[in-house]
Amino acid sequence: MLETLQNLGLGFSVALQPPVLFYAFVGCVIGTLVGVLPGVGPLAGISLLLPATFGMDATRAIVMLAGIYYGAMYGGSTTSILMRIPGEAASVMTCIDGYAMARKGRAGAALAIAAVGSFIAGTSSVVGLMLLAPPLASFALRFGPPEQLALLLLGLLVLAYMSSGSMLKALAMAALGLLLGTIGIDQMTGYMRYAYGVVELGDGLGVVPVAVGLFGVAEILATAGAPTPPAVVKPRFRELFPSRREWNESAWPIARGSVLGFLIGILPGSAHIISSFVSYAVEKRVSKHPEQFGHGAVAGVAGPESANNSATSGAFVPMLALGVPSGPIPAVMLAALMVHGVAPGPLLIHQAPALFWGFIASMYVGNVMLLILNLPLVGLFVNILRIPYPYLYPAILVFSILGVYAVNGSVVDVWIMLVMGVLGYVLRKLDFETAPIVLGVVLAPLIELSLRQSLAMSDGRYSIFLEHRIAAVLLAFGLVLVLLNLYSFARRGLDWRARMARAEEGDS
Amino acid sequence: MITPRLVSLVVVLLAAVAVPAGAEDSYPTRPITMVVPFPPGGVADLTARPVASAMEKVLKHPVGVVNKQGAAGAVGMQSVAVAKPDGYTLLLALSSISIIPEADKLFNRPPAFTVDQFAPIALISADPTILVVPADKPWKTAREFIEDAKKRPGQISYSSSGIYGTLHMAMELLSQAAGLKLRHVPHQGAGPALTAILGGHVDALASGPAVVLPHIKAGKLRPLAGWGDKRVAALPEVPTFKELGYPEAEFYIWAGVFAPKGTPEPVLARLRGALREAVNDPDFKSAMDRLETPVTFKQGEEFQKFFETDARRLAEGVRRVGRVEAKP
Amino acid sequence: MTIDRVSGLGLALWALLVLEESWRLRLPLGSLANPGPAYFPGALALALLVAGVAVAVLGGSGPRLASLSWSEWRHSVAIFAACAFCALAFERLGYRLTIFLALAFLVGVVERKHPVPMLVFAAAMAGGTFWLFDTLLRVPLPRGPYGF
Repeated sequence: MLETLQNLGLGFSVALQPPVLFYAFVGCVIGTLVGVLPGVGPLAGISLLLPATFGMDATRAIVMLAGIYYGAMYGGSTTSILMRIPGEAASVMTCIDGYAMARKGRAGAALAIAAVGSFIAGTSSVVGLMLLAPPLASFALRFGPPEQLALLLLGLLVLAYMSSGSMLKALAMAALGLLLGTIGIDQMTGYMRYAYGVVELGDGLGVVPVAVGLFGVAEILATAGAPTPPAVVKPRFRELFPSRREWNESAWPIARGSVLGFLIGILPGSAHIISSFVSYAVEKRVSKHPEQFGHGAVAGVAGPESANNSATSGAFVPMLALGVPSGPIPAVMLAALMVHGVAPGPLLIHQAPALFWGFIASMYVGNVMLLILNLPLVGLFVNILRIPYPYLYPAILVFSILGVYAVNGSVVDVWIMLVMGVLGYVLRKLDFETAPIVLGVVLAPLIELSLRQSLAMSDGRYSIFLEHRIAAVLLAFGLVLVLLNLYSFARRGLDWRARMARAEEGDS
Repeated sequence: MITPRLVSLVVVLLAAVAVPAGAEDSYPTRPITMVVPFPPGGVADLTARPVASAMEKVLKHPVGVVNKQGAAGAVGMQSVAVAKPDGYTLLLALSSISIIPEADKLFNRPPAFTVDQFAPIALISADPTILVVPADKPWKTAREFIEDAKKRPGQISYSSSGIYGTLHMAMELLSQAAGLKLRHVPHQGAGPALTAILGGHVDALASGPAVVLPHIKAGKLRPLAGWGDKRVAALPEVPTFKELGYPEAEFYIWAGVFAPKGTPEPVLARLRGALREAVNDPDFKSAMDRLETPVTFKQGEEFQKFFETDARRLAEGVRRVGRVEAKP
Repeated sequence: MTIDRVSGLGLALWALLVLEESWRLRLPLGSLANPGPAYFPGALALALLVAGVAVAVLGGSGPRLASLSWSEWRHSVAIFAACAFCALAFERLGYRLTIFLALAFLVGVVERKHPVPMLVFAAAMAGGTFWLFDTLLRVPLPRGPYGF
């Protein structure tokens, strides 16, 4: 413990140097910007700015890039709450309850809770990173394809909790999303599936165009022409802050979200964006008022926002402790380390302690900077809602198109967004939820790949899932959850029939 | 009214528009784009950027790197194949440029592009892949590994960056040369492939040396042999498959600069000269050193020969792999 | 004819389409021990088919189809057309010109705002976002034939 504090002291001495502070600040600002802009997410932001770091010192470069990553998680909630457009894929769940809160005049409260939740999650997960990096990283490595499959199947269960309406319809949407996720090159055999000659579809639809299209474009298509345009909400200063009740309601979700996000972030192949989906489902399950979800439940904002922030620190665990990327963003950051002459690997912490501890310290500092940056901006952002809608929505469209285009420089992505926008618009009319589609698009390729990889590893034997203990435990846990749900579902069903029967008896 | 002034104005305007078309001898006159068909931070990207900035110094015009990723490189490569051959769009491709059209042929689909849509300019680096196994596995030499693989066909697993990808084809060339049957577990890119072997989920991996060197030094992975013509400089005690008697198992993850076919010869010559100077630039050399990637510069005839031999070898390899689901 | 019946049928049809396409593209099915490219989509299509049919069958008591209001469809079509124009013209006319034209259409024609603020808005958005992305974030945006 003492050694850790000494190391941390070393880290702060590095992180608080003015040049390092400056680059951390730049990273945080760019990250917030990238997070607010729909479409462009942290991966795009880091990739775009990686070349700009080539002339810099390694510590400053990595501090800036990391700032972009967790900064984006702070900013992503802004457009989600104000306009129901996900700033980046991880903020999709915030769109649901955050926007509902904004419609009720609680936009400022939602933004503040998101910012504070992000801060608490970000800071506590850095503590986790600091103290637990090496042992957690070794544990994470043991997650191979069978374990990943088990985890992802558990993630699928999350779908059952995402809908506030008919579960059957939500499942249909999940199936649809999973189907859409199979478009592209089949990773195991090289066949092109449903791409019809469009090379750009080889990697699938992409979660960014799908999320922005289903939520952002669909929202605009549905509301822009409505006879009564959305009422401009003019909040007063006092209403910007969350009430005591709202703070109380967000405390536990923030705590749970932080832990959940961190754990999901560590695991390789788990797609860190599902951290917010899982957090939403958990909050809905443990809430005393699940019917509020979808209509402005504070926990529906606090949980997911905290989860996606702590997932970023979790993602750094295997990267720093072992030199192993747990996702595409850590992979780019590892490349950044390599370019700057720092060999990532298990010995990084020992060979470059100033870098490692300076990085950790700058994450503490960065989170503080972001909190200070974002809280006052709440007032500014809420005023965006005052802009007359006929000017606001074209501006949103421009940002959406631009953001989606900027990710890959591909017009095909823009088309995907538009098609998904029309689909989302039609589905809304028909009273279907679109969030499960996004989750399906994300999970389908991962689930299929893990399953077939596991079978390749075991030469076709399904018993591999029992032989790998972690996978077996996770699958058993999932099975128990499913049975519990079916049981309560059946009971409710029986009650309903009993009530009907009694009502009929009462009639006659 | 068609006045003489109007006519001369039109003529001047036409001339202004027509002139750029004949300005090859003063190439370049505007910024050049180098397309990297892979995501930022990957091997191709990290090689392209030092090349681009060194070229900038020689050509005195900006050379911008643009990442156009997708479909294992097919998207970016296709975009350059159909680009205007005026010398302002270049491609930095990896050896997968020869593999992708073959894979397309295998599936009877129109190829995204063909190799002869490109004019090769120069080779920048050619990293041979090396075979690594987890340190806790019993094989201490490549021979032990090969013999064990022969005794237990289909039991030893290896990860790769994707089906028909560079790391897969390297292993396939070895299997075909030594008559082995190994179990392939594709992953989504080189990063997850490395994670899989570090976690002990597969038994072997063919990898570029730079990525695995830190893990070898930390004692987590053991190198057995290399696919190169010569031994890897950083691992002098690791033999090559050529030395061990499998000369057909030769594979490099090479990076080369291409232009669309039809680019005028004077432009190509200028680019070749520029690249020759660029690779001698000290900043470029130190950047490549930091990446632990040795520079192997080939041009003209030499590169053409290298490229064609490599393409033929890979095409044959892909054809022999065939379509994967035909497995029993 | 209720909304649910129609949407359920629509989903079922989609599922059948997927199954038909897998068949037509001759994607191999593989086996349980070695699933091929058509296995997973096939299973999902079956699940979607079942879900769609269930929605249709159980949807007898929902709101009727006629109660759906499409009153804003003209607006939505115009918005979609403007976006489609952007996608088509982006790489031909260049970013700034495309966005300017699209915004002028949306704000001036569809929303019928006064031309002067509309033109200022369109020009500011086109130029401002271009600066933000191309110059600040270094995202190369397409420039049209006039370097614009």
